[in-house]
Amino acid sequence: MSSATPSSVNRLKSNDAGRHMIADYWDRIFTANERDAQLVWYNGAALNPIFQAAGLEWAHGEAFAARLSAQKLEKSAQLAAQEYGYVGELCSYARTHLGTALLARQAKEKYSKGIVDDAERDDLASRLPMPNFIVNCYAGCSTGQQWDEITHRILGKETPIFNVSLPFLWSNRPDAGYLKGQEWEEASDYVAAQLYKLIDFIEVQTGRPFDWDALRQGMKYIKEASEIRREAMAMCANLPAPATFWDWIASVAHINFLPAGPELVEYFSNIRDEIAHRVASGESAIKDEKYRLYFDGIMNWNKLGTLARVFAERKVAIVAGRYTHNAFWQEPQLIDTDDPIRGMAQHYLLCPTNHGFQTIKHFTKHDCELYGLDGIVFHSTRTCRAFTGPQQMLAKAMQKEMGLPSIFFEGDVADESFYKGELLESRLEAMLETIDVRRSRDFIASSASNA
Amino acid sequence: MNENRADALQTMKNIAAHPELYIADWKSKQKMPVIGIFPMNFPVEIIAATGALPVIIQDSKEPISEGNSLLAEFYCGYTRSIADQAAKGMLDIFDAFMNADHCIQLLGSVDVVRELLPDKPVYFEHLIAAMDDSWTKTQVQEKIEAFIIEAERVTGQPISDEALLACIQSNNKNRQLLRNIFAARRNGDAQFSPAELQAMIVSSMIMDKNEHSALLESVLADAVAKPRDQRIRLHLSGHFCHAPRVELFELLEDCGAVIVDDDLYTGARYISTDIKESMPPRMALADWYFARNETIPCPTRVQKTVDWDSYLLNALDNSGAEGVIVVMAKFCEAHMFYYPELRKTLNTHNIPHLLIETEHEGMPVETIRTRVEAMIERIRRKSPTRQITQESA
Ligand code: SF4
Ligand code: SF4
Repeated sequence: MSSATPSSVNRLKSNDAGRHMIADYWDRIFTANERDAQLVWYNGAALNPIFQAAGLEWAHGEAFAARLSAQKLEKSAQLAAQEYGYVGELCSYARTHLGTALLARQAKEKYSKGIVDDAERDDLASRLPMPNFIVNCYAGCSTGQQWDEITHRILGKETPIFNVSLPFLWSNRPDAGYLKGQEWEEASDYVAAQLYKLIDFIEVQTGRPFDWDALRQGMKYIKEASEIRREAMAMCANLPAPATFWDWIASVAHINFLPAGPELVEYFSNIRDEIAHRVASGESAIKDEKYRLYFDGIMNWNKLGTLARVFAERKVAIVAGRYTHNAFWQEPQLIDTDDPIRGMAQHYLLCPTNHGFQTIKHFTKHDCELYGLDGIVFHSTRTCRAFTGPQQMLAKAMQKEMGLPSIFFEGDVADESFYKGELLESRLEAMLETIDVRRSRDFIASSASNA
Repeated sequence: MNENRADALQTMKNIAAHPELYIADWKSKQKMPVIGIFPMNFPVEIIAATGALPVIIQDSKEPISEGNSLLAEFYCGYTRSIADQAAKGMLDIFDAFMNADHCIQLLGSVDVVRELLPDKPVYFEHLIAAMDDSWTKTQVQEKIEAFIIEAERVTGQPISDEALLACIQSNNKNRQLLRNIFAARRNGDAQFSPAELQAMIVSSMIMDKNEHSALLESVLADAVAKPRDQRIRLHLSGHFCHAPRVELFELLEDCGAVIVDDDLYTGARYISTDIKESMPPRMALADWYFARNETIPCPTRVQKTVDWDSYLLNALDNSGAEGVIVVMAKFCEAHMFYYPELRKTLNTHNIPHLLIETEHEGMPVETIRTRVEAMIERIRRKSPTRQITQESA
């Protein structure tokens, strides 16, 4: 039987060293108005290299909601959203971000009347400056595009908005599949064409010609950073795992929206080098790794530390996850740095919620095999229907086709009230027991056949 | 009630309550496929033009059991019911499925259908929801062509422009007949109950349109307008993809209200817009997608140039409704997004309104009754003529 003995989480030191990059980024956002910088609010795909090349500042709505939640500062935004009338079952990323939009609007109105509200100034949720324009580029989830439509409405409909529409990769035809088939090629062209139109729109908003060289340069850095990240991830197939899902979560901001540049490449190089060193020296990410699991679902930002601890205490290394391993420039070979638009469009389509069930099953199986995993933990994310949609079928299929057990635990991306910690712990322990039983059975069977 | 009219109404009610019986009967007579259609934007004329029967798949009244182990419990009732019906073999009667709507919950349920019925084509083309962009128009046209090709493939029947036009005409006629009935209600005719109107709409979603129009004509031939009484006039708003339970209508009427208009999917929204017969049919099908959202804006689409809230104010003006019941299918994200905009506008115009969330199973009758009665009381107090009527009563 597994026991909940205390065990430490051995976090990557290079992640800690790169944390200031996130703080610096947000400082730039919060001071955008003072610096007369143009700010774009956006949601969904990593359009930031385009914004960077256009000389803009960019604030990712989900990232801001995630940051507030991780710092436990989301309540004022969620309260503002609730007072405005949003039902508590609405996507909590959207609810939190719409709350910050309401607070930003309120702060601007007060400012224009010469009112300075100290409490508001100290509340991080109120500090997001109003955007000069909005861009939406949300794959998979219909909620994403509706969310920015509503942001546009609550800001008074005066802020220009541009939608990049991403077709869902349903796989109608027999040739369809992950990165292949006519549907994939057509969708890639369709999105690439919209990105050129987005750049036209940005030129109008900035009044400047777009800097294509800057985009090519930025995408070189991103491609390199991504290749290094993938190389480092692959090293985690090692037993014991030198880094876990929680380490990759800590670097989501970097790969997803921090500026492209040498510092980004250096950050991921340091991670890779640290992981390589751990592999060489046999150092593991959690003490006495006994089980290796997969994490399916979007992150629960309120409970990051708690979750990392709950698993580590039970000698569980969460080695890979749909959110970390099947998103964020994960196919760098698609990027042609001389002509990057189509490869960027393809990545925008490759959101891990933008596929039919068979494709999701395909890459989940691939990861479970590659990393040698024993089971799956499903984060049944209460207000994120995009991630939760295929989970129950996936659990059944992975049990049937790979013999992998799984558990579900309830929580949410940014609303702490949905988290059910006790259930997670009891279900996890039951699953670990199942894994123990299976291992003993396999051991007996192999001893018998060797005898 | 005249017998013909009563029979025709009863037929529609029966079909709305038991689509499977109608479908089985139609299949055995016509020997043609039946295609299950997911709401809310698929142009069914494409399927009808092959000679097959398009049926918009309804929410089943049966309690959800297996569906809850296929989709999360926080998926809307309609999508969990679809999963449940697929698991229980209730969708086996369909030969193929088609969907044009990108709601992530809907897609989740359609994917369940695809997994559980692997031998049946389950076809999805994503009609882009950003209605303002010129490239959406091109994309929608291409997707309409793709649907036509797929319909030809699954039915084995070529689709001519003539057949498309004929189906457009018969669907337009059906919509017009229904719209006339809804307009009469708006103008004070109370001869049909809300449950009867719902049965007319739902049966239209299931039946061959010529057959359905014939039933409507029998009903209308013997129609005798019945002036509505003095109860509080309400507009019902929202409730996408499936029909609210008729028990809700009964409860509202019980509380002293009369429903005079709606923008429900299984109501005015479904019949809002005809397909232009003057356009080449394939273009007209694509045009309809955009035109519908202009007539009654839908929060599942994004369009800067239309506002559901403005539409609602206008509708209230036209019908003289004194209050609004926003009927929201629990967990319907698009509706949750837009509700505060409606609320803000209604508050600004001092229009009493109430949000009622519906679930697949169980309606908290007493709670709803208390809230509706309170709202009705507010309306009475607000209106001096209402107060006089009540005092003299
Ligand atoms: S529901 Fe999930 S995928 Fe959809 S917008 Fe919210 S967080 Fe994103
Ligand atoms: S009722 Fe709402 S959530 Fe459910 S399928 Fe329809 S649009 Fe989607």
